Amino acid sequence: MSAPAAGRYVGQAIQRKEDPRLLTGHGRYVDDIVVPRMLHAAFVRSDLPSARITAIDVSAALGLEGVSAVFTGADLNPGAGTMQPSMMAENPAAVVAPLTPLAADDVRFVGDPVAIVIAESRALAEDAAELVVVDYEPRDAVASMEAALADGAPLVHPELGGNVASDLALPEDPELEAIFASAAHVVTERLVQHRHTPTPMETRGVVASFDPVTDQLEVWLSTQGPHEARRTFARVSGLPEGHVHVRMGDVGGGFGQKFFTPREEQTVVLAAKRLGAPVKWIEDRRENLLAANHARSDVATVSLALDADGHVLAAKLDHLEEAGAWPVGGTGGVGPFVAMLFPGPYRIPRIWWRSRVVWTNTAGRGAYRGPWMFESVAREQMLDVAARATGIDPLELRRRNVVGDDEQPYTMATGMTFSATTSATTLEHAARVIGYDDFRAEQARARAEGRLLGLGIGLYIEPTSTPAATLGVEAATVRVESGGGVTVFLGTAAHGQSIETTMAQVVAEHLGVAYEDVRVVQGDTDRTPFGGGTGGSRTAVIAGNASREAALKVREMVVGVAAHLLEAAPEDLEVHDGVVSVRGTPVRNVSLAAVAAAVHNAGTGLPPDVPRLLEATGRYQTSSPTWSNACHICTVEVDRITGQVEILRYVVSEDCGRMLNPMVVEGQVHGGVVQGIGGVLYEHFVYDEAGNPLTTTFLDYLLPTAAESPRIEIDHVVTDGPNPEGVKGMGEGGAIGSVPAVVNAVADALAQVGATVTEQPITPVRVVEALEAVGA
Amino acid sequence: MAEHHIRCTVNGQARRGIVESRTTLADFLREGLGLTGTHLACEHGVCGACTVTVDGRAIRSCLMLAVQAEGATVTTVEGLAGADGTLSPVQQAFMDAHGLQCGFCTPGFVMSVTAFLEANPDPTDAEIREGISGNLCRCTGYQGIVEAVRLAATRRRAAEVGA
Amino acid sequence: MKAAPFDHHAPETVAEAAALLAEFGDEAKVLAGGQSLLPLLSLRLTRFEHLVDVHRVVELHGITRTDDALRIGAATLQAEAEHDAVVAGAVPLLARALPHIGHFQIRNRGTVGGSLAHADPASELPTVALTLGATFEAASVRGTREIAADDFFTGTWSTALAEDEILVGTRFPVWAGRTGYGFAEVARRHGDFALAGVAAAVALDADDRITRVAVGMLGVGATPVRVGAAEAALVGTVPDGAALAEAARAGMAALDPADDLHATAAYRRRVGAHLMETALGAAIEEARRG
Repeated sequence: MSAPAAGRYVGQAIQRKEDPRLLTGHGRYVDDIVVPRMLHAAFVRSDLPSARITAIDVSAALGLEGVSAVFTGADLNPGAGTMQPSMMAENPAAVVAPLTPLAADDVRFVGDPVAIVIAESRALAEDAAELVVVDYEPRDAVASMEAALADGAPLVHPELGGNVASDLALPEDPELEAIFASAAHVVTERLVQHRHTPTPMETRGVVASFDPVTDQLEVWLSTQGPHEARRTFARVSGLPEGHVHVRMGDVGGGFGQKFFTPREEQTVVLAAKRLGAPVKWIEDRRENLLAANHARSDVATVSLALDADGHVLAAKLDHLEEAGAWPVGGTGGVGPFVAMLFPGPYRIPRIWWRSRVVWTNTAGRGAYRGPWMFESVAREQMLDVAARATGIDPLELRRRNVVGDDEQPYTMATGMTFSATTSATTLEHAARVIGYDDFRAEQARARAEGRLLGLGIGLYIEPTSTPAATLGVEAATVRVESGGGVTVFLGTAAHGQSIETTMAQVVAEHLGVAYEDVRVVQGDTDRTPFGGGTGGSRTAVIAGNASREAALKVREMVVGVAAHLLEAAPEDLEVHDGVVSVRGTPVRNVSLAAVAAAVHNAGTGLPPDVPRLLEATGRYQTSSPTWSNACHICTVEVDRITGQVEILRYVVSEDCGRMLNPMVVEGQVHGGVVQGIGGVLYEHFVYDEAGNPLTTTFLDYLLPTAAESPRIEIDHVVTDGPNPEGVKGMGEGGAIGSVPAVVNAVADALAQVGATVTEQPITPVRVVEALEAVGA
Repeated sequence: MAEHHIRCTVNGQARRGIVESRTTLADFLREGLGLTGTHLACEHGVCGACTVTVDGRAIRSCLMLAVQAEGATVTTVEGLAGADGTLSPVQQAFMDAHGLQCGFCTPGFVMSVTAFLEANPDPTDAEIREGISGNLCRCTGYQGIVEAVRLAATRRRAAEVGA
Repeated sequence: MKAAPFDHHAPETVAEAAALLAEFGDEAKVLAGGQSLLPLLSLRLTRFEHLVDVHRVVELHGITRTDDALRIGAATLQAEAEHDAVVAGAVPLLARALPHIGHFQIRNRGTVGGSLAHADPASELPTVALTLGATFEAASVRGTREIAADDFFTGTWSTALAEDEILVGTRFPVWAGRTGYGFAEVARRHGDFALAGVAAAVALDADDRITRVAVGMLGVGATPVRVGAAEAALVGTVPDGAALAEAARAGMAALDPADDLHATAAYRRRVGAHLMETALGAAIEEARRG
């Protein structure tokens, strides 16, 4: 284990290339795109959670001046290809609900799109959408997993014959039962994590334009993955991939919601193709809250068996994951991932698990920063439950069970193998920074005054750059332009992750040019190599190493040309700041511009053995996840009257390997942590029992503001990642560790008066009810 | 459906347009004048992404009709930097302190913070957090933004002392 | 998310505004700062054929003080009132309550009269007006009239203003002598509508005996409410902490808060009693110092 030194650029907190345009209003997001003859779309959506459509009358809407078209399922569904993302579309075993562009026979959640109206302006399209008359025959709906699993429950998808999308379990394990039967301590809890929605500040949006003469589809899209979008649009439209061009400009956040290409965007493409006119659809916030993919919503019953010294002997996990009606992406895949990762950084020698995925008449589940993170929520909460049951301090209990930094590679009882993580180190660092023992003393003093303070720990390992389907590969092309400037073409594309900056740092470092001379091009399927998109904490590892490889290849070409020009041996040359010079004789040098001129100028007459090209593509493939890790510790005060939770201090000790840009790393941690805090304390997407959504504005779906957010203290543990660039990936982690840290801190505070809380969100009302339940 | 001819001053230039009664100032700025730096993230007055100043006051441009801007002086995020692209002190502080990631909420924050520091040039951290609590950001966890406001305030005061 | 079509009218006098309201009847709505109305229109939760925009009506703007009253013109910005020294001196309770309205960008556009006429039961200004017994001045083509605060708030988002009437101004009584004020509320996040809140004013005699007390609450009913039971328990007394707590308990017991998405009725009772104790305690403390 070593702490790699920072380079000239890699490892430096360099200012971002993205910032000047974004700060001055010169960014270009999808809603900023205007094309000639462009029309605007609005959806007519179901206001019932489950119903049969008996008639749709579009005549009044079509009669409104300025309305170009109203399409229903009868218009767009026939002939449409599969709408599933590549990893599902190409997996014959995948369980998928029968998704169509528009709901035609029935509707299955409030927000299901029934028709698309296309008009001269968005306002007019909304006027016309109100005039579309849909007759429904309402049916009973199931708005929760409990309702969906009840005997005789109405079916969300009658075609599938049941409300359980998948049910996977390990065989019964008598040995494990014997361990539980004889263990000194057994703890069991039912844990609930509620429904969230990712809510990027920019909603979804698309501009689609189809030219029937050339059969060419042009799409501008707010997305995390332009190449995946292109494949998706090709499948649903039936066009060859080469006839689909997807561009993304600046993207205002995604957090998983834009990782795959959702239904509405595909429907807009079909409408534009059918109409032969460019169509823009910008999702409004109510639609985003109502119908864009939701996230979380997990319930688990978890048991731990421990010996008298607090060593975990075995675990049982019975997990339910709510899929909603039309989940986006890998439903049926997240649940088992929760189980597989449940042991996390601890020695849990034996485990049994069951994982069920349940359909409900609600908005579909999809990716959200750490889609499987319920494993950490469940595990870390249970360790605190165990600590209270055994009387062992929760930090000490973790020390006794954590896998040591020198005990790796380590294979979990579930079969997952991790290596090169530093959980034990980050646990100690975070405890030291927060002042663990001092806090315990302060907590006792406060308790004597009647105040409730608490401390919570969230320790986790995060599989980054997981190689599912096309996600294990990225490519980057580096080109020295004729004037000596450098352009990088990336398959992946950023929606806030600073990739223009960090990948320019990597290329500048390894090619030997100035950071200012490197420009990064991303988000254009006609210009960039194929890539899986930004998500899954994969960019630093996969795109970073691809960029490194491309830069090194081009460096070799540059050196080859310069060797000829300088009449020196290539191995004697070094490249710094765009100048190639002879090592030890810096006056013998040639600029990159001169090298480029030599290559691009036919008159130079380079001999045959000298490179004729200053362009190369690097491709990095991973076959197993890379692991990063962190420990979050926070302290809180719970107001005994109002039940409000104030976060007093928040500490993260993290190891994401070599940091490409520490400023960017810290920004990712800050953002993830506050998303996690928001999820625990404020955000809750609520349906009533009948399936009506109750939180479809920002007045009701509560995102945390600066006034609710703590200052976050970060401690970096830097060890090399298992790849040439030494990185480990880290984008999602902040949103993983923060949830158990906050939940455990509140539980720790309440435990002092005998109160418990195992269900999120931890609202003031829930805290007060927990206190009142024990007369506190 | 009533339409109105309106005239106003936007970023120092006299501008005019024809708007429907229902057109918001935000939609007029974006679609009528092509000033797409003003962003819409909720259109119901909660997120602050569309913040601009009207006659010197920071307001939410989704909660004002374009027709109400008749005769007004409006400044948008496009009006802050110098003609040569030199960032305003607040913009520069956001860049220096990593006060933005995806950038979508950023114009609203920059406008709000510019107005906030005019009213409160020497804010405490708690005042900063309260002062920016009318703007939502989903990327930064607000830490870089709070740092940026503090940095901008410090530089602003230093510039005044030096002047 | 775009509003349904409407016609915008921009009268320059109260008479013109009143004439428009008389002409269009229930198809018209007064637009003041628009900070509540425009979101409802954009979400298409409400719609009107005509908006009568009063922000250019000069006579609706301004703050004036007489010996026993502070008058605030209906179209006066909340931000203007918030930072006005006359307001802070004459009716300190207003100055305490105003910063709790939304965020500063909202108060930069929202008006005092708009908030009062919108009559949200969880909002601050209606509660202050009710607590202090303000007088509302209304105008229509039929003439002008005054409405007492006790009669003004008739239900959630509804007032005694007739369809053709416009709120012109509001007079808040100025309390004299040894007075003190408290305002406290609890919200989910900074700037949100309160789950519960309390406005309190007290006047003391030379022996610290309460000669006059007014307590109002927001977020615990269909309208802002006066908490008469708490007032009755305190007037004429020199309350200690226990007496304050008892007054708050009695006051809360007489109210009937409701459940909603963000809080239960039981929660509102618990927190409401606590806030009442806090606000009254602060008011008495301030009066004793004065």
